[in-house]
Amino acid sequence: MDATARLRLERAVLAAVAAGIVLAPFVGTRLIIYNLTITALYAMVVVSLNIILGLAGQVSFAQTTFMAIGGYGSAILTTELGFDPVLAIIVSAALALVAALVIGAPLLRLRGHYLAMATFALALGTNSFVTAATPLTNGSIGISGVPPLAVAGHAVDTAFSYYVLSWTACAVAMAIFALLARSHIGRAWRAVATGQEIAASLGIDVTRAKLMAFAIAAVIASVAGSLYVEFTSFVGPDLYDIGIVLNVFLMLFIGGRGSLAGPVVGAAVLTFAPQFLAGLQQYQNLVFFGVLLILILVWPSGFFGRSRDSGPLREILPLWLRRRGVAR
Amino acid sequence: MARDQAVLAVTGVTKRFGGLVAVSDLSLVVSVGSVHGLIGPNGAGKSTTIGLISGFIRPDAGTITFGPHDMTRLAPSAIARLGVSRTFQQATPLSGLTVFENVLVGLHTRFGSGLAAVLARTPAFRREAQAMVEEAQRLLALFGLEALAGTDARNLTFGQLRFLEIARTIAMGPRILLLDEPAAGLNDLERQQLAALVHRFRGEGMGMLLVDHDVPFVFGLADRMTVMNFGSVIAAGDPDQVRRNPAVREAYLGEAAETEGAAWR
Repeated sequence: MDATARLRLERAVLAAVAAGIVLAPFVGTRLIIYNLTITALYAMVVVSLNIILGLAGQVSFAQTTFMAIGGYGSAILTTELGFDPVLAIIVSAALALVAALVIGAPLLRLRGHYLAMATFALALGTNSFVTAATPLTNGSIGISGVPPLAVAGHAVDTAFSYYVLSWTACAVAMAIFALLARSHIGRAWRAVATGQEIAASLGIDVTRAKLMAFAIAAVIASVAGSLYVEFTSFVGPDLYDIGIVLNVFLMLFIGGRGSLAGPVVGAAVLTFAPQFLAGLQQYQNLVFFGVLLILILVWPSGFFGRSRDSGPLREILPLWLRRRGVAR
Repeated sequence: MARDQAVLAVTGVTKRFGGLVAVSDLSLVVSVGSVHGLIGPNGAGKSTTIGLISGFIRPDAGTITFGPHDMTRLAPSAIARLGVSRTFQQATPLSGLTVFENVLVGLHTRFGSGLAAVLARTPAFRREAQAMVEEAQRLLALFGLEALAGTDARNLTFGQLRFLEIARTIAMGPRILLLDEPAAGLNDLERQQLAALVHRFRGEGMGMLLVDHDVPFVFGLADRMTVMNFGSVIAAGDPDQVRRNPAVREAYLGEAAETEGAAWR
């Protein structure tokens, strides 16, 4: 599939997804609406990963850490300090921004796997920290009773209003991604992802470019984390388990790194698949991750990925079949 | 600083890799609007010199200045922004980006719009982006690549890739261009096109440091020459002086089996 055909397909899918999101409240069950709200918030986190990984090419596992700053920030500021929920989201996002600059400045100078290793440790540490910091976070019990949002005097406290709010926030994140991706800023990120030396030789400050992507991604993840906690009115360590950040990676890889529509598709697949597979009981994870493994081997760039790599299986399988005399 | 008098000055630069002295007490000057040829047998330190000037390799001693700016310790991106840019021996595309986007990346430093202007799509940003698109089109036409604008850069032939690399580097508007073996692997027609481009850039006031194994190609273009061997300068001056220099003849004829020795004769 060439670039224009892929773009056309992606636009068509985006239009279909948008139509589905608009129509869902009229036909969907409460459970579907709930899951679609969760999908929107996770899609936002995947969009943030798509900025730092899909565009700037930096493997960072820090997205759940920034979600946790948003989630715990909102919960603590509203329940303990009586902040307005909207103000709490903004203050938490500012904290996430500062954290991203402090964490990113030393790490993003380095090349290779340092960022991946350090942020993986950070992701593991986040869960342990919020479990252990009981006076602040209420430990493994978490904080419940986080008050709902009020936007312009209207309380956002029904399933439908949260659905609208979440998809609006997700659309804003996608618009930010799209505007940046096709600007000189996004092009510089893509240049850094494919060749840091070339980018530097063209006057691009590589560390600064990476830090900017890291910081923008942190703010988006933090806002998604805040909205998630406002939606469920609860925050606890399990929301930031290491498995969650791996899920976010899977969502991006299924959807396609670097693409606009990919994160929504990936988030929807991973949110809904476990329920479709629930009948399989103890084999659920086996089947689910088995299918995922095959998908990634055959189709490593995902639904809308930029890369044309056909994947190891598609290259090896015909050879193997030929050798067996099955195919010519 | 009067722009016309800006010179790139390398003064007493030395670089050791372990026990090997790759470049020893090198001094040379590249003026804007002129071509400085740098030749020498394999391992003479030519590519190391380009790495040193462009900031990818840190010198152990000496200074490198451009006009009033000391760039000895600057990062490669800062040196490029001062107006001293390089090409690489191995012309590498920014793969996954089209030919057109490759040139637009070269124009990156000429964008003034920041994050807020991009997200708000201010009229100033849109005007600027449009101007850059036109500039990229102009550059692609200049390098004969306009028909390939939408192609993923990794699908180019070797020669097309070389011209794309130069177009991408020229896009940022350097005052001094460091060309690391630009003619390597090009066919005769492409070499002529390259020579015509070098003439054109010189006419527009750009200074160039031209490193190449094709000695007649360098002699045909250079206003000044420096010849290196084993990391040291063995001759420098105008091309005619250098051509007659016995040390130069010996350095090249001493390795007659080498292709560049053959080219010399």
